[in-house]
Amino acid sequence: MFKRSLSISAIAISASLLLTASVFAAETVGPVTDDIGVIKIPKGAPIQIGGYWVLSGPDTPFGLDEKRGVQVAIKDQGLLLGHPIQLNAEDSLCTPEGGQTAATKLAANPYTVIVIGPSCSSEATPGAPILWKAGIVSIGTSATAPALTAANRKPEYDGFVRTAYNDTDQGREDAKWVHDVLKTTRAVTIHDGSPYTTQLVAEFVKNYQKLGGTILSQEAISPTDVDMHPLLTRIATEKPDVIYAPLFAAATGQILRQAKETQGLENVPSIGNGLLDPSTIKAAGAAVVGYKLTSVDTSAESRGKNYPALVKEYTAMFGEGPVGGFHSIAYDAAVLAFKAIEKAAVVDKNGTIYIGRKALRDAVYTIKFEGMSGPIACDAHGQCGQFKESVYEFTNADPNTFKLGVNPKKIYP
Amino acid sequence: MTLLSLSTLPRFFSLHSMARFTFVDVILWALRITVVVIVASGTIATLIKGRYTAAEWLDFVIFGVTIGSIYAQIALGYTMVYGVLRLINFAHGDVMMTGAFSGYFVAAGLQSTGFLNSHPVLAMAAVLAVAMLTSTTIAVLLERIAYRPFRRVGGAAPLICAIGASFFLQQTFRGLFGSSAQGYPDPAWQLSTLHFLGVAIPRVDIIVVIASLCAMFVLHLIIQRTRMGTAMRAVSEDPDAAALMGVDVTKVIVFTFILGGAMAGIAGVSYAMVYKQVNFFMGFTPGIKAFGAAVLGGIGSVPGAMFGGFFLGMVESVGPALFLDGFGIPAPYQLRDAIAYTLLIMVLIFRPHGILGERMKTKRA
Repeated sequence: MFKRSLSISAIAISASLLLTASVFAAETVGPVTDDIGVIKIPKGAPIQIGGYWVLSGPDTPFGLDEKRGVQVAIKDQGLLLGHPIQLNAEDSLCTPEGGQTAATKLAANPYTVIVIGPSCSSEATPGAPILWKAGIVSIGTSATAPALTAANRKPEYDGFVRTAYNDTDQGREDAKWVHDVLKTTRAVTIHDGSPYTTQLVAEFVKNYQKLGGTILSQEAISPTDVDMHPLLTRIATEKPDVIYAPLFAAATGQILRQAKETQGLENVPSIGNGLLDPSTIKAAGAAVVGYKLTSVDTSAESRGKNYPALVKEYTAMFGEGPVGGFHSIAYDAAVLAFKAIEKAAVVDKNGTIYIGRKALRDAVYTIKFEGMSGPIACDAHGQCGQFKESVYEFTNADPNTFKLGVNPKKIYP
Repeated sequence: MTLLSLSTLPRFFSLHSMARFTFVDVILWALRITVVVIVASGTIATLIKGRYTAAEWLDFVIFGVTIGSIYAQIALGYTMVYGVLRLINFAHGDVMMTGAFSGYFVAAGLQSTGFLNSHPVLAMAAVLAVAMLTSTTIAVLLERIAYRPFRRVGGAAPLICAIGASFFLQQTFRGLFGSSAQGYPDPAWQLSTLHFLGVAIPRVDIIVVIASLCAMFVLHLIIQRTRMGTAMRAVSEDPDAAALMGVDVTKVIVFTFILGGAMAGIAGVSYAMVYKQVNFFMGFTPGIKAFGAAVLGGIGSVPGAMFGGFFLGMVESVGPALFLDGFGIPAPYQLRDAIAYTLLIMVLIFRPHGILGERMKTKRA
């Protein structure tokens, strides 16, 4: 049996190598030879780093927060190997088409050294393979779908790593909290068909059932749906204790508002995920008060020891506090990129930098450090960030009162 | 002579027509029969299952009527412009968005001063007036700047121009007001409900449906009972003949855009009152659906647009529960667009001119 699995692994690795070899060809530039290719950055030229996040639409604060985290990291870094750092940010809209377009644009730039982002798994699913086909490593900042760093992920995702956590952990911990702490046994789930919501809901369902809970139904909507009344009426007939709906801001707003108007659901809690930004308040209005959502723990006490300095600098640079919960993860992604570049780069006597693309990818996997969001160390499948569950609750419907830890306030642990 | 000679058979069953039955006809009939069987068996299975009470069915109907009335309001703009210009005004959904946005700014301002709560009628009249004025202005400008140069141009150019106008409006509003969704104010009087046959109906839904019906009635009166309405119908029949009879065609077209823009303003406020969010992209999906509704009812026909809107809203709301629940299909509401558009296609296969389109054509002839 062991022999057979070994031979299967050997075939898989050979196929993967053949695929890689067919896509990439070894290149020698200056003192560096690399299997994938070499980037040459002349003295004084900037080191170009790509970024793609959702920077427009209802989920803007989500991506904007991550972009800002990277901008703070660039400011903190100053020069890298004597070169300035240039961030080329693209708006990837939190859609597959947006991810594809942004990744294609970044991949088309031969001077893109590494890419940070994206925000959404829907963007990473088509975007990461496009980048890796061009030999560019990408570091996800809030794309959390399990498939992206699963042990059986396809070779085209070999260039993707993430400092964001993995929804396998999120789904398990969410199920535990909803079942054990919220004391529920009958749940309905809603996803919107995107890789993030679908895979997170699947993890939640698996673990909730393991804990003895019953999943009454698994519903689905389209992200642009506005009329949730019929769906909620259907859900009300099942008399759930809780609705687990990790959706994006616009759809969450509609679910929260319309559940209050649906007989039988007025007091049934709807639990979301990750929407730690003011757009949730705008979308849901008064119905946001009491809305609980799970997230990686973003409180200062659970972050790295330098986190308060990051928040201070962020506020000074942008004139407001963090507008989301992923800035520290994005900051760590940037630091991981800088450290990997430092490790992989060869600088000649003129100050010209040569970076082997494969060497850079390999370097990313070897870097370990204590980041703003916690310890960063990539496993063999690109999972570098850790997860610690927390639950937040919105307390005020005025978007101007948004402040992480206050509105929404942390209620667990 | 036999009692039922071949010549006395209905036309459909005559050997002559049977001989003209093509392979495509067979496929289409098989498709029709399949859909009817699925719908009928699904409905029976759902009703036997008895998952929903009468009150819940009534809820579904109310939700369908509410969203249907909004589709109908938007569809009227599509259908009037098509009737007069034979142009599919793809920017009409975005004209609706401009009305919703301008109404939002007035509503938010009045909410912050407490006026929206203390004087709801006056406040909503102000919101509606600003929304209608904005969308009417935008609609008239679109006609003047974007569509008039294409009036005598055939082919796809006017349609492409309309699509371009749609993107232009979206991106302009995105640039001006940002891309985040804005939450429409929800004053206390909008949150209350009325109880009818054991069903709690949101007051705002009733207001929206009544406002829609009133607007449609007024529109019907304008088209049927006024000189300008008569001129609109004349231009719709034959613009050249109407011009020869002394009708100022340009004036009629501008008036049509004024009416369509005003209806879009009402639709925008209605939409925002029910669904409480406005964003630069909000006109696209309802616009496409309303266009479907206009086609379903018979594009160019005002009663057809109203009927199509209500039909589409009702199918979206009731369809998934009624047709699919009986088969035990999980998450039926993710298929609501599929159901609505399948039925739309089926109706058009049966009646290519839409439900009321052909009747109107016969009447004209």
